[in-house]
Amino acid sequence: MSDVRKDNSSEPVISIRHLQKSFGSNRVLTDFNLTVKKGENVVVLGKSGCGKSVLIKCIAGLLSYDGGSIKLFGKEVAEMSQKELDHNRARIGFVFQSSALYDSMTVGENLEFPLRHHGKEKTKSETRDIIEETLSNVGLSHAIDLMPAELSGGMRKRIGLARALVLKPEIMLYDEPTTGLDPVTGKEISQLMLQMQEKYHTSSIIISHDMNCSRMTANRLTVMINGINYADGTFEELKNSSDPNVNSFFEFTAP
Amino acid sequence: MSNPSSPAYLSNFRKGLIAFLEEAGAVTQFAGRFFSQGFRPPFEWREVIRQCYEIGYKSLPLVGITSFIIGLVLTLQSRPTLVEFGAEAWLPAMVGISIIREIGPVITALICAGKIGSSIGAELGSMRVTEQIDAMEVSGTNPFKYIVTTRMWATTLMVPILVVLGDGIALYGAYLAVNLKGGISMTLFFHQVFASTEFSDAVPSIIKSYFFGFAIGLIGCYKGYNSKKGTEGVGRSANSAVVVASLLIFIIDLIAVQITELFGLI
Repeated sequence: MSDVRKDNSSEPVISIRHLQKSFGSNRVLTDFNLTVKKGENVVVLGKSGCGKSVLIKCIAGLLSYDGGSIKLFGKEVAEMSQKELDHNRARIGFVFQSSALYDSMTVGENLEFPLRHHGKEKTKSETRDIIEETLSNVGLSHAIDLMPAELSGGMRKRIGLARALVLKPEIMLYDEPTTGLDPVTGKEISQLMLQMQEKYHTSSIIISHDMNCSRMTANRLTVMINGINYADGTFEELKNSSDPNVNSFFEFTAP
Repeated sequence: MSNPSSPAYLSNFRKGLIAFLEEAGAVTQFAGRFFSQGFRPPFEWREVIRQCYEIGYKSLPLVGITSFIIGLVLTLQSRPTLVEFGAEAWLPAMVGISIIREIGPVITALICAGKIGSSIGAELGSMRVTEQIDAMEVSGTNPFKYIVTTRMWATTLMVPILVVLGDGIALYGAYLAVNLKGGISMTLFFHQVFASTEFSDAVPSIIKSYFFGFAIGLIGCYKGYNSKKGTEGVGRSANSAVVVASLLIFIIDLIAVQITELFGLI
C-alpha cells in the first residue's frame, strides 16, 4: 500500500487553542491544544474517560465548550450560526464508537439519510449510484437492503464509515473505530481508513487506544492526560519516550 | 413512619416539589419547541406518514379488540339494573352516550398511552443512548424536527381517528350484547343510539381526543429524548412515559368535562 499519510500541506483545517470543558465540578478538558493540517491524520491517545470523545464532540458542535477556541476551516465553532454549523457538518464525517446506525432504516436508507438532508437535490438514480459506490468502497455492496440488526460488529463499523463518507467530507472524526473488534477485523478497518483517506483526501482526528490502529494510521499522535495535550510526536518518538506516563501506552505494543 | 412536621420530611417534600416544578417547566419548554418547529418548513412528510402508519394503523387491532370487549361488557353489566327499573329499552341510548362521551375516548387514549407512549419512550431513549440522535445532528439534520415533531404530529392526528373507530367497534360489541339476552335489529339499535346522541356529545369528545394524542406524543418524546444512564434509562423512560401520559389523560379529561359543562353542552 502506498504511504498516504504524508503531510502534503501546511494549511490547518482544525485549530484548537486552550480548550476547556467541564461537566459540573468535573473538569474534563483543562487546556487542550491541537492543530490538524490538511491531509494529516492525528491520533489522540488517552485513558478511558479522560475526555477524548468530548473533544471531538466539541469539534462537531455536539457539545458546547466552556473556554478556549476551536476553529474549523478558519471559523470559530462557537460563533457559527445553526446554518453555518450544518453547512460545515456536511464537510465533516463522524464515525461513532457504537457506529450509531439508525435501527429503523436499512443500510441503504442509513446512507441516503445525510444525502437527503444536505441540500443538493439529486435524482433517485443519482442517490442510488452514490450509495452503491460508497458501499462498494467499504466492500459491502451486498448489504444495501440489510437492517443494522443483521450486521456483525465489523460490518457495522464499515457501514458507519460509509455513512460518514457518503457526503465526501474533508475532515473525518473517528471515535474509537476499532474498539470491540478482533485484531484481524481491527486491522482491516485501519487499512480501510487509510484507503478512504487516499481516495477522499481527508484530514482526520482518530480517538483510539488501539496501538496497532494508531501505528498504522497516524502521522502524529497526541497523548491526552488530565485534559491537556501532555505529549505530541510521531509513533516512534512517543514509543521511545522516557516519560513513564507516555511510555505506559506503548508497553504492550510489538517491537 | 416520619412525622409530616419534622424538618427531614419538609425538606424531602420541598425537594420533591422543586423537582416536580422543574420537570413540569421542562415539559412545557419541550412543548413550546414543538410549536416553534412543528409548523415551520421544511416538513418531514414522509416520516410523518410513516409514523401515522406505525402509530395509528398498527394500534388498530389492540384498540379494536379492547373497544369491542368494553362495549360488550358495559352492556351486559348495565342491563340488569335497567331491567329492574323496567327501562331495558333505554339500553342502546345509555350505552351509546357512555361510549361516545366518555368511555371510548378515555379507554382508547389509555391503551394508546400504554402502547404508543411506551414504544416512543423506549425508541427515542435507545436512539439517545446509542448516539443515533447525535449522528442525525452531525448529518446536518435537526433531530428534534425529524424525530419529535413527526411523532407528535402522528399521535395528535391518529388518536382521534382511533377513538372514532374504537367507538364504532364498541357500539357493535354493545349491539351483540343486547342480542345475547333479547332480540334487536342492527338498524333499530343504531337508530336508538343516534337518536339519543347529539352533535354536542360527539364533538367535545373528539376535540379532547386531539389533546389526548398530543399529550401521549409529548410525554413519550420528552421522556425518550431526554433519556439518560444507558439501558436502565431506556426502561425508565418507557415506564414513566406510560405513567405520566396516563395521568395527564385523566387531568385533560377532567378539564374537558369542566369546559363542556361551562358551555352548557352536558
